[in-house]
Amino acid sequence: MEKIQITLNINDKPCDVMVSPNDTLLEVLRDELDLTGSKDACSEGICGSCTIHMDGKPVRSCLTLAMEAVGTKIKTVEGLANGDELSDLQQSFIDHGAVQCGFCTPGMLMSADALLKENPSPDDKTIRKALAGNICRCTGYAKIVDAVAHTGNPQDNCPDCLTSSKPYKIQGE
Amino acid sequence: MSDYTIVGKRMPRVDSRAKVMGKAKFTADIKLPGMLVGKIKRSPYAHARILNIDTSKAIALPGVKSVVTGKDTEGVKWGVFAYTRDQEFIQTQKVRYIGDEVAGVAAVDEETALKALDLIDVEYEELPPVFDPMEAMVSETELIHEDFPNNVNIHVNIDTGQVDENFKKAYYIREDTYVAPEESYFQAEPYAIVARFDHEDCLEVWMPNGGPHMKSKPLSNAFKIPLHKVKVRKIAIGGAFGGRSEICPVDYICALLAKKTKRPVRIEFTREENTIATRQGHAMITTHKTGVDKEGRVLARETTCYMDGGAYSSTGPIATSVPFLSMEQVYRMESVRYNGYRVYTNKPIRGMIRTHGRGFACGLDIQLDMIADHLGIDPVEIRLRNCRKPGEYTSTKSYVDSCAMDETIHKAVEKSGFKEKWGKLPPFHGIGIGTNSVQTGFPMGIRGGSQSFIKFNEDGEATVMSGVVDNGQGNDNMLVQIAAEELGLLPEDIHLVSADTETTSSDPGSYSQVSTFVGGQAVMNAAKNCKEKLFEVAAKVLKVKPDTLAAKNRLIFVKDDPEKSIPIKKVVRISLLNFNSVNAEGGYWPKVDMKREWVKNPYGQMCEAFSFGTTIIEVKVDPDTGLVEVLEATAAQDVGYGINPLVLEGQFEGSIAMGGQGGMLTEYHEWEGGRCINPTMLDYKLPLACDMPPKINNIIVESIDPKGPYGAKEAAMSIAMSAAQGYSAAVSNAIGVYMDSFPLTPDKILAAIKKKKAQDEKEAPVKK
Repeated sequence: MEKIQITLNINDKPCDVMVSPNDTLLEVLRDELDLTGSKDACSEGICGSCTIHMDGKPVRSCLTLAMEAVGTKIKTVEGLANGDELSDLQQSFIDHGAVQCGFCTPGMLMSADALLKENPSPDDKTIRKALAGNICRCTGYAKIVDAVAHTGNPQDNCPDCLTSSKPYKIQGE
Repeated sequence: MSDYTIVGKRMPRVDSRAKVMGKAKFTADIKLPGMLVGKIKRSPYAHARILNIDTSKAIALPGVKSVVTGKDTEGVKWGVFAYTRDQEFIQTQKVRYIGDEVAGVAAVDEETALKALDLIDVEYEELPPVFDPMEAMVSETELIHEDFPNNVNIHVNIDTGQVDENFKKAYYIREDTYVAPEESYFQAEPYAIVARFDHEDCLEVWMPNGGPHMKSKPLSNAFKIPLHKVKVRKIAIGGAFGGRSEICPVDYICALLAKKTKRPVRIEFTREENTIATRQGHAMITTHKTGVDKEGRVLARETTCYMDGGAYSSTGPIATSVPFLSMEQVYRMESVRYNGYRVYTNKPIRGMIRTHGRGFACGLDIQLDMIADHLGIDPVEIRLRNCRKPGEYTSTKSYVDSCAMDETIHKAVEKSGFKEKWGKLPPFHGIGIGTNSVQTGFPMGIRGGSQSFIKFNEDGEATVMSGVVDNGQGNDNMLVQIAAEELGLLPEDIHLVSADTETTSSDPGSYSQVSTFVGGQAVMNAAKNCKEKLFEVAAKVLKVKPDTLAAKNRLIFVKDDPEKSIPIKKVVRISLLNFNSVNAEGGYWPKVDMKREWVKNPYGQMCEAFSFGTTIIEVKVDPDTGLVEVLEATAAQDVGYGINPLVLEGQFEGSIAMGGQGGMLTEYHEWEGGRCINPTMLDYKLPLACDMPPKINNIIVESIDPKGPYGAKEAAMSIAMSAAQGYSAAVSNAIGVYMDSFPLTPDKILAAIKKKKAQDEKEAPVKK
């Protein structure tokens, strides 16, 4: 199919890219723009590994045509951190042991980030419902839910945050 | 207690930063210059003879760079053991399941490769297929493999003690049959492989694997090139659960396409291919006959299991044994007879999976509950009376050193309130207990041991080399924690080079739950040797004896006078100035019985340590819909020593999800003939966040194994398995029917409730 040039706004940067009308946004992100953080694990909108934000809303990039994304603001997992500085949610995932194999993590983060923007302190049920479109095979979800809950409601006595921020004190420092 | 600095601590994993930033590279993320796209042509028939393959139209398609068929393979066959080499990498004679590999294509893009697949003409002669293992054993039709009579692929026979005599002595005997269909891994990452031959004709490959050295050797054999010319590279891996252990045909096909085209080739599986054409869990029909004395102690047991093995052997001898071995480890059974039959059928290939034999284990546990019920004993008591104690031998003659089986039961019972709840819950509420044990290693011959190398850099930081692979369970972090602990460094000072066959020594990988015990211990020993060298240099500077020194927080100091210290970095530099590099090696080889063999001699020391786990589940069943709501899960495992409690908890919780929530409530494959009709995530019901119990209690029990590193052994597998048992027991308890067909889907639950109601009314028609 003949390719045409479009401009996408991805992670606050304009990106010129040649696409076929039937290219999915996921294909364009991964193959053309080298943004491989978004994963392809089912290609049919079930697993949630390809979740990105389109104008702030979580969207399955494997079910979205690249052409549909023209004129919208796209954010991928690569755009969550501010340079090397992780977002609170990303840090919370690390601190709470919410990452195992890491394949579902980008999609999980994007769904959770969208939830927290709508509802900054969601309860357990709300979190589980918001993440129901993201399949994780490793964690049993408990630590992911903890990580999201903690981002919304930081607690001073959380053992995981206490250990991670300064886990090992060096003598003399 | 211990005064460890780094191990035993809740440490966030070293690999998680790259993963939350989307920077971690998985196989499908690799892009190499000139890379082609590979695709596999698969059989549409369950059983058929290949008469002819015409690839001329495909090869003529512009953009197609190579088409390979069985003719290009020189008839190479794969099998884990010499006696199970029954799978050609590309079929030349016949196809044995829907999905069997018949050709491979490399093209400039996916669209072209897919078009080329359609242009390959394969002429088949259909043969009568067989899909049921019981039918396969008596079928008169053409054998699936001509040298395996009755389609029996593997027969494992274990017979110890006085089974027949003890049945005569038994006070009560039960015989029950339990069934469970196939389940699948559904790793988050669909299988993918990238292969290329480099400028020195070395084969370089990236793929999810359960052990890079387990992939390099068969590839070296298949291509008849030296082992050092196969470089399996490290790559992030999106889950394994037993399903990435062996070589699979696509590894060979991808490498062959790379060889033919002299270009890198990438093959990515679709979700359907990952389900159909990697491995699955075995369907099983298991009959347990158990004889007990008046107190419920098992006197004799006879178990017969028929396993649907699919089209090829895979890890058949192991898969036929492990369900039984786990049970003989967790429960004393001095007089036991086991016959396991793995039968070929025209269905996809079955291999090892995390919950080895859910129908097998759940059946044995449900039967134990039935026996307890008959004798008026509670489920906890009957387990305590039969469970494994330290210092005993299993029925197949493995010595069990560390064992805190009963502690896991006691702690889980206390935490869950089992005693208070048992028999007192309202209708359709239930509680159940499951117990299990898993091997920390299998006898793996030449690949059973691991060796590690450590070198210090002049900045005082260290590079650690190990063949251990991380499938997502946290092995990389485990190695870093151990190295940092032993070397007196901080985790961020350790640079890990692992899972790469060019730079690391042979290692069993994550296969058989042995990474910490063997690979971790090799790193520990290498680090100890390295530290000794540092101490010799430091001792001269500090004018003390080396054995008075300790290392911690980047310093070497005198144990009794910690103020007297020297930075490790300085010791390294002094050493280098004296023309001595600071490096060391260390290894670990478990003392197992090398004569033990899965089929020919299933007796002797299996591994050096066993884990023991208990899971208690509380559920509520909706009698109108048959839906199960899990209220609480409590998981307690004897892990030997918890190197990282944060990681362990995650492993326990994941085990509850896969073994219990999915494994016992929703996960199974459905078939239409030989075609799997639910190969994708849309139809195969994996547990979601909203399905999981709101509360999971994790209890880490430490028995400090005398041979494990810091006392550690296998972690969380006996939770995955006991979770299945806990779920089935809890649902059975809730509905008052002992279930014998798994998983416990709403249709089965509703049918059981209905049947029980009818029976109750018949037996007590005047009951209020």
